[in-house]
Amino acid sequence: MREVAVIGSGMTHCKSRWLSKTYLELAQLATKNAIEDAGIDVSDLDGGVAGIYNDIFEFMAIPESPLQGIVGLANKGFSRVTSGGATGIYTMYNAYNWVASGMHDVVLVLGVEKALDCYDFEAESPTPAVVQTIAYSWDPWFERQIGNHASSSYAQVIAAYRDEHDGDLTEEASAKVVELLCQQAQNNPYAQRLGEAVSAEQVLDSRYVIDQIRILETCVYTEGACALIFASKKGLARLAGKMKQEPIWITGAACANEPYFVGKDPKRHKVLHRIQSDEIVAREALKQARLTVDDIQVMELHDAFVPQLMITLAEMGVVPLGRANDLVNEGIIMPGGKLLLNPCGGLVFSGHFVGGSNMMSTWSIMREMKDRDLEHGLVHGTGASLSMFGGAMIFERRR
Amino acid sequence: MSKDRNMVIPEAMLPPARIERVKGNFGEEVLLRNDAMFTAYRHSAGELSAFFFALADEGRIIANVCPSCGVVNCPPYQQRCPECNFTDMEQIEIKDVGVMAATPVITMFPPARFKGDAPFGTGYVFIECGDSKTADTALPLRVRTTQGMLRRGIFKRDTPIKIVFKDERQGEITDIFAVSQAELTREQIAKSPLLESDLEWNMPKEPEFEETEESKMAFSKILFRFQALALKVSKSKAAQKDLANWTRRVEVKSGGFFFLLNINDGKMSAGYEEPDRETDLILALEDPNDFLPYLERGAALTNLILSGKLWVSSSELETITRLDRLPRSLRKDGV
Repeated sequence: MREVAVIGSGMTHCKSRWLSKTYLELAQLATKNAIEDAGIDVSDLDGGVAGIYNDIFEFMAIPESPLQGIVGLANKGFSRVTSGGATGIYTMYNAYNWVASGMHDVVLVLGVEKALDCYDFEAESPTPAVVQTIAYSWDPWFERQIGNHASSSYAQVIAAYRDEHDGDLTEEASAKVVELLCQQAQNNPYAQRLGEAVSAEQVLDSRYVIDQIRILETCVYTEGACALIFASKKGLARLAGKMKQEPIWITGAACANEPYFVGKDPKRHKVLHRIQSDEIVAREALKQARLTVDDIQVMELHDAFVPQLMITLAEMGVVPLGRANDLVNEGIIMPGGKLLLNPCGGLVFSGHFVGGSNMMSTWSIMREMKDRDLEHGLVHGTGASLSMFGGAMIFERRR
Repeated sequence: MSKDRNMVIPEAMLPPARIERVKGNFGEEVLLRNDAMFTAYRHSAGELSAFFFALADEGRIIANVCPSCGVVNCPPYQQRCPECNFTDMEQIEIKDVGVMAATPVITMFPPARFKGDAPFGTGYVFIECGDSKTADTALPLRVRTTQGMLRRGIFKRDTPIKIVFKDERQGEITDIFAVSQAELTREQIAKSPLLESDLEWNMPKEPEFEETEESKMAFSKILFRFQALALKVSKSKAAQKDLANWTRRVEVKSGGFFFLLNINDGKMSAGYEEPDRETDLILALEDPNDFLPYLERGAALTNLILSGKLWVSSSELETITRLDRLPRSLRKDGV
């Protein structure tokens, strides 16, 4: 396997509704920004991989097809990835393999999503239609028919974790994490909720959308795009003299999916109180990078819901399972703590444009590693029913 | 939700053909076209049909068992066992009692197709398949209570449940649901299949709270606060919109005290009016001061219901949802 570096990134602004832009325009804008950030020309790209979660959101089957020429990849390889909420990290994983395998030297990694074009004409609001569209990701014989959906699915994992670890993952601790993420998002010029101030007390007063999860603990529906440029050492040599950014190296990459059906045996069923995929991918990616979790200085984790984020941190070994409160109470992720967590504000405050959210996390981690002179970072994605899809990548800055 | 339950897509959800010109993110005009991405289905249950036929026609629950490793799958989602090199699994009948795999969750804000159902509970049940043995996989089910609105505490991990069958069944997972055995008599638990009509749904037991001088004082204070809220609503167009097209007489009770909250198409009033006709909804709580976070800083009433502090006489959530919108609307209008 060859070494792979990220040499550029480009974002669009995250908005709840991009009335002025289609997903084609968002994709092209992010690609243009990534090319400019890297300092290369579009003709330097050998191919690309696009993350688009949901055809229904884009109002088109095969929504990647019009992107081919628009992002400057006419007559080159261009593949689309869709893996639920983890679409972004899976897209990066595929692009990583394109480069690491030796097939390509410079690859575009693009993530884009619309969402709020969906509309519920009965409720006169887009939100129930967006929730329903995501709920189509559940099987049509059992889960979907009883009304399960993204929030209920994650809430079920959170409820089961709280069953297993009585007294852990308190609502107060989760509320403090929300307050932290809000503060950190104010340093992200692309954040959807830039300018908002949310206190822990407001979180605790806010309405449950479902038992276990309050509305201020959830990620927001977002329209936007992010593009990254992955390159091999050979690619870097080819681009020598053009590149504007210091390369950040990917030293570990792993994906793992848990089984769909719920049961007792973690080797053959989804076990409700765990997000095993998070534990597996962090362990495998860290092993590849020859690091331990304690070596990671900054993490950008997929926070679909803040209590899930805290479980993910425990699954990854930042704290033991059952000790998620320590993340807050012992200050591990709080300002001045040993781990910088979701400095972009996470998906809760920056936004969750599903196909590209994990690319946004990568954009953020690259920025933070350079600005704060950090050596090791981790990006993570999760998704699908009961948070069963997982992926993680380790990033290294070589000084 | 539309009352037109016979149609897969209720008429109210169908978009009228229209193209509008609206303001974009930068103030420019953009086109907005009503449309739909629809594909109708005659969707096959294939090999899963046997499970649904057993529910619909016989009031039985079936599972698949692997003769090699003994794993029992309910639902019977696979016909061969991948852990045993795809050994053919065998169909067995299992019981209609079991335990919750974990605390089920209660959806307050549902997907579009389930708007009329909220709040509703969903969870996973390990069904008994032999002497003190349960299936290895869990059946996803709706969970229900005969005691008013679903709230925390009724179901937890390991709560013993009984599967209840709807009287009219078509062959779908919603033909059945789980009820806590604590709400049933021994005879009901023993009956198979237990039908929905065997249970009493319309007589939820209203909690009784002790009448004290303190609660009387607190209750008067709460009434005064609700009256102040009603006055604010009369000054806020956004708040009036929250209550538009909605009429409810709500009896708010604590101990021996009560007042009526009247919602009438954008208007609200609160007072000691005698209930000269039936109320639509009863809200009962032990400590009237539990309303203060809502009245003082807009904390959600929904949370009081979920926590079990506020008892509601029916499963209708719409009134509470509308009341929960008021604080934000008042802030928006600067009232």
